[in-house]
Amino acid sequence: VRCQHYPPLRALQASAALRRVSDEHKKEPFTSSSQQQFDPHPAGHQPEQEPQGPHPSYTGQGGQESEDYESEEQLQRRILTAALEFVPEHGWTAEAIAEGAKTLGLSVAAAGMFHSDGSDLILHFVSECNAKLSELLEKEQKLVQLGEAEKKPTDEFLRDAVEARLRMLIPYIEKWPQALSVLLLPRNIPSSLSLLTSLIDDIWHYAGDQSTDFNWYTRRAVLTGIYNTTELVMLQDSSPDFEDTWRFLENRVADAMNMSNTASQVQSTGEAVVQGLMGAAVTVSNVETLRPEL
Amino acid sequence: VYQVFESVAKKYDVMNDSMTLGIHRVWKDFLVHKMNPCPGTLLLDVAGGTGDIAFRFINYVRSVRERQLQRKLKQHQNLSWQEIFENYQEDKCNSLGDSQVVVCDINREMLKVGKQKAQHLGYSEGLSWVLGNAEELPFDDDKFDVYTIAFGIRNVTRIDLALQEAYRVLKPGGRFLCLEFSHVSNPLLSRLYDLYSFQVIPVLGEVIAGDWRSYQYLVESIRQFPPQEELKAMIEDAGFFKVDYENLNFGIVAIHSGFKL
Repeated sequence: VRCQHYPPLRALQASAALRRVSDEHKKEPFTSSSQQQFDPHPAGHQPEQEPQGPHPSYTGQGGQESEDYESEEQLQRRILTAALEFVPEHGWTAEAIAEGAKTLGLSVAAAGMFHSDGSDLILHFVSECNAKLSELLEKEQKLVQLGEAEKKPTDEFLRDAVEARLRMLIPYIEKWPQALSVLLLPRNIPSSLSLLTSLIDDIWHYAGDQSTDFNWYTRRAVLTGIYNTTELVMLQDSSPDFEDTWRFLENRVADAMNMSNTASQVQSTGEAVVQGLMGAAVTVSNVETLRPEL
Repeated sequence: VYQVFESVAKKYDVMNDSMTLGIHRVWKDFLVHKMNPCPGTLLLDVAGGTGDIAFRFINYVRSVRERQLQRKLKQHQNLSWQEIFENYQEDKCNSLGDSQVVVCDINREMLKVGKQKAQHLGYSEGLSWVLGNAEELPFDDDKFDVYTIAFGIRNVTRIDLALQEAYRVLKPGGRFLCLEFSHVSNPLLSRLYDLYSFQVIPVLGEVIAGDWRSYQYLVESIRQFPPQEELKAMIEDAGFFKVDYENLNFGIVAIHSGFKL
């Protein structure tokens, strides 16, 4: 019973902030007939909705996943993206999210949808950066496949990928230590760790890593170590255009390449990773003590 | 309902403290903390008679604003003394950052007590007191950032109307927060709670406020109130999104939250 009267009630109330996804479907999606005969709209439509039945993909909230309105998740992502521009001023906080919501014409109370420590904003930013990097690497790969570019040697490829990814932090570099400390909170570690591993996997995938043996783990560990340590160096780098950081990166990648040629590969990799983590822990704890001033 | 609160108004705060053994303060603090308002928020507190939520909101916003100003000043490292002085002056007149609370209650007596309390505690700016019915609010559409109703919604005859009004007066993106007694699912605790409610509370009512019947009514209205999931469904029906609830003290009290999206 509830199923049937939900759709007209929701759509006719014309959701205050969830906007229509596609402008082509100008007509009201539900013509307030009591019989809910669901007609699949022709184009620009979510493919998973079946044509039969009164209301497919019923989500328990009565149709906010319906065709012409964006979902809550999409609205949340829009708010977070708008909030990024306020991060240099307010930091990775609920205030930045509130300002972002304001620019979209929403009340500042909308920031209450997210966790108050700003972790949602940071995780959104990280996943957006990772997506951008994937796009970049995909484009480069296409060029190589079309023969318009040379395939780079592994060390150069890794260097460029890590540099490109780290450069995305530059506009937010002042507040980034704060973000890192939030990402290291126990609550956030599962999400931040999974984003990190998928980033590393991506880079190795485009680097042409075809191995399925135990090398897979060591390569991931090595690159994770390189990425993390370079990120930390970048936070404390004051050289013009971060040249010190890129030089550090170059050296680490070279070390890694050399290491892979020795027989005691696994052991030294383990040591390197442990040293990298120790260094990271020390740096983060130093940054933590600076935190009250940020 | 009106008469219950007329007689209860003056002793309201004292009764709250004794009935809940003072925990109601924690519950209300938690509500404002969950709201996490930033300066510039416009709050409507319905059935907020004696102003508990309103005062907490003002305190919270004031401290957030102070921290904001401190951070701003820290950034301005090279200002001259003159400029720092001017900064302080203009911000002193804006200690609330344009935040405002409107306290709305159906009962004049409760509002009177609230106004007296405000004067006594020294709250002057950012507060308004309005007489109104939750089922038919005397405000325009899309006005408020946050709508709260703390321990008031069970006294509304048509809850769905109150929810619809809440939806109407909130801005897009605005938040609905409801703090109310709810259902305890733990059976052992539920028995203890029943014992306490039916044996102790009316007695306290008689002793402290001289009114057994009102508090008997109170306890019964708590039992009749819809449980968490049902209230969540009603809030969704009114049009709110991302509706969720949080149990405090194993369900003795629950905070429901929804957004007008």
